[in-house]
Amino acid sequence: MASPFSGALQLTDLDDFIGPSQDCIKPVKVDKRPGSAVTKIHIEDDGSYFQVDQDGGTQRLEKARVSLNDCLACSGCVTSAETVLITQQSHEELRKVLDTNKTVPPDQRRLVVISVSPQSRASLAARFQLSPTDTARKLTSFFKKIGAHFVFDTTFSRNFTLLESQREFVQRFQGQTDSRETLPVLASACPGWICYAEKTHGSFILPYISTARSPQQVMGSLVKDFFAQQQNLTPDKIYHVTVMPCYDKKLEASRSDFFNQEYQTRDVDCVLTTGEVFRLLEEESVSLAELEPAPLDSLTHSMSAKELTSHRGGGSGGYLEHVFRHAAQELFGIHVAEVTYRPLRNKDFQEVTLEKEGHVLLRFAVAYGFRNIQNLVQKLKRGRCPYHYVEVMACPSGCLNGGGQLKAPDVPGRELLQQVERLYGMIRVETPEDTPGVQELYRHWLQGEDSERANHLLHTQYHAVEKASSGLNIRW
Amino acid sequence: MKDSLVLLGRVPAHPDSRCWFLAWNPAGTLLASCGGDRRIRIWGTEGDTWVCKSVLSEGHQRTVRKVAWSPCGNYLASASFDATTCIWKKNQDDFECVTTLEGHENEVKSVAWAPSGNLLATCSRDKSVWVWEVDEEDEYECVSVLNSHTQDVKHVVWHPSQELLASASYDDTVKLYREEEDDWVCFATLEGHESTVWSLAFDPSGQRLASCSDDRTVRIWRQYLPGNEQGVACSGSDPTWKCICTLSGFHSRTIYDVAWCQLTGALATACGDDAIRVFEEDPSSDPQQPTFSLTAHLRQAHSQDVNCVAWNPKEPGLLASCSDDGEVAFWKYHRPEGP
Repeated sequence: MASPFSGALQLTDLDDFIGPSQDCIKPVKVDKRPGSAVTKIHIEDDGSYFQVDQDGGTQRLEKARVSLNDCLACSGCVTSAETVLITQQSHEELRKVLDTNKTVPPDQRRLVVISVSPQSRASLAARFQLSPTDTARKLTSFFKKIGAHFVFDTTFSRNFTLLESQREFVQRFQGQTDSRETLPVLASACPGWICYAEKTHGSFILPYISTARSPQQVMGSLVKDFFAQQQNLTPDKIYHVTVMPCYDKKLEASRSDFFNQEYQTRDVDCVLTTGEVFRLLEEESVSLAELEPAPLDSLTHSMSAKELTSHRGGGSGGYLEHVFRHAAQELFGIHVAEVTYRPLRNKDFQEVTLEKEGHVLLRFAVAYGFRNIQNLVQKLKRGRCPYHYVEVMACPSGCLNGGGQLKAPDVPGRELLQQVERLYGMIRVETPEDTPGVQELYRHWLQGEDSERANHLLHTQYHAVEKASSGLNIRW
Repeated sequence: MKDSLVLLGRVPAHPDSRCWFLAWNPAGTLLASCGGDRRIRIWGTEGDTWVCKSVLSEGHQRTVRKVAWSPCGNYLASASFDATTCIWKKNQDDFECVTTLEGHENEVKSVAWAPSGNLLATCSRDKSVWVWEVDEEDEYECVSVLNSHTQDVKHVVWHPSQELLASASYDDTVKLYREEEDDWVCFATLEGHESTVWSLAFDPSGQRLASCSDDRTVRIWRQYLPGNEQGVACSGSDPTWKCICTLSGFHSRTIYDVAWCQLTGALATACGDDAIRVFEEDPSSDPQQPTFSLTAHLRQAHSQDVNCVAWNPKEPGLLASCSDDGEVAFWKYHRPEGP
């Protein structure tokens, strides 16, 4: 069956045979000690393992741990059947938390916060033939009906991703004479792209990738740090659910970089795809269209979320558009009113240039889908990448076409996508600089732009997955 | 059938290793062989014997599984288990690796040039088929990544005249692809084989496709265009391919390769029972339900599995074969006269 993960993640050995000699990406590290002879391993009655040295000394051995996240990112041995089971669990997980909330005493209950992505909302709007605003209000109503306490829009957290991306690009562009490999900057909001980059191209490509956190993970910081404080709760007392257009966002949420060690809690506890929300609606026998709309929640008091807002630059977040316009202004004093995209080899690979008197000052690109990512990476490897910034997304046509979006049996894919794009684009656009609440949060919550707190909460890092090469993984 | 396939000579092409594949250049003057020793050898004639003209080493880290000449004859592509495809440029007797195509997750099983010379296809154990485009500066870019197969893809071959691609897989199917707007799509899946499909060959006209399989049969498929006289149903504007003939009972083991002579229409097969067979279509057979007769059966053509058979594109009846025994053999085929 077709894998629900993005194409970039699909090209791994997923099938229904567990090949015993497949490489696991978590090879057990062996500490080589000089002059060691044969060591014996002794198993205690309680099942723990002890290594017995030559001189009789014993040393307790640690269990090799392979987490679910390791498996989902690698698929070296997990079969496709299991990954399907895993991906379908999430709305049941949410249900469990909601049910638990009903039975335990108040001090053990968790505050349930749901952050909905605008892409998922557009997909639901198309399916139920509602406006985006009605969809947002009715979803708020639905989630609260089943026990959630707050429902937010990740468009708000996206403001931070965009601002950080803008600032980062200008810094890297200006600093390019100092250190090598600062350009191009590659967008980082897509976990399908990140997992592929970490696993396939490792330390070569990671230095190019923007360190800005994705809107989902900024929301994680906002909800578990800022909002938790506002509500006088510790982060582990909040159960944060996001609604996303793809399955790859589940992998992103379970990265160890987004796990709060102090409170042993994830910034995002659970990711539901648009499809899983649809299933939840069906299981509750709720017709979204018939629900009474509820008022929208806002994260800060200064924001009045009376109406929805969006960002320019397309359904994947508008990273290129914002970075381009900001850079044109900051670096060259040029105001760009309208960004013109020029399709190259295919519609998922487009170029944008800033020219002055025949000189190209900035050359940016949009690269969606695996084949375009391939070409981009190969160009980079050969030192022939002409771009300063590339908005990279794993799914052809971007996030509105994510693997977790709703499909309609009676509407052809392309037509449905156009409907979703139209609904997404209907919403009034606002620039991150002008959005109420954002600057305030920089001042009070983050203690300034480019502060240590801002860097800690709004940026992340990447880790190359080194595969142990072995001749054993030959399958005929 | 006696003497219909006569041995002309043998060469130890890849000693202590397997010889996996052979490809004649378009002029029919050179034969490229590749093998488990990670090398490619180019063979040419000197008088009556075949000699090694060049050795292409340093290209791959693992077995070279297939080689393919560009339609102009100036380039050779090699597909390797090291997950890369090398493009070699010919300069008299020297070959220089000008590009290495990366991107497949694991072993590349096959490579093929489109007749236009602008497109290249590769396929891999990672279940995908890639289409590449080459520009005037010998730069290759990936045009499409096709994930239609559900298992290891063994072979890709282009239609002789149209921009149509066919692939064969461990998932027992053959898939056909064409370009649609800015991408490539799979427009047909040919089902019928009961096991891995190892290789494919189009007939000279491009109207028929032969496939060979681990199920020990060769199937012949025919293209039916929309509005065809025979009343075969088509979906939209795509042709339908139907199986019109199955050659079964002739091979006792897996058939690893099938080759359709573009000059004479003879069909040769390479089999795991170490034999080479040749089939010809009966002159009076119905085009919609053709019959083929076995016109040559050479047992022990090699001392191990025969991996590849290749008809010379210019000299009718000249056939090359190679085997797990590391040898390349040259044969002359004469259609047998009389009963």
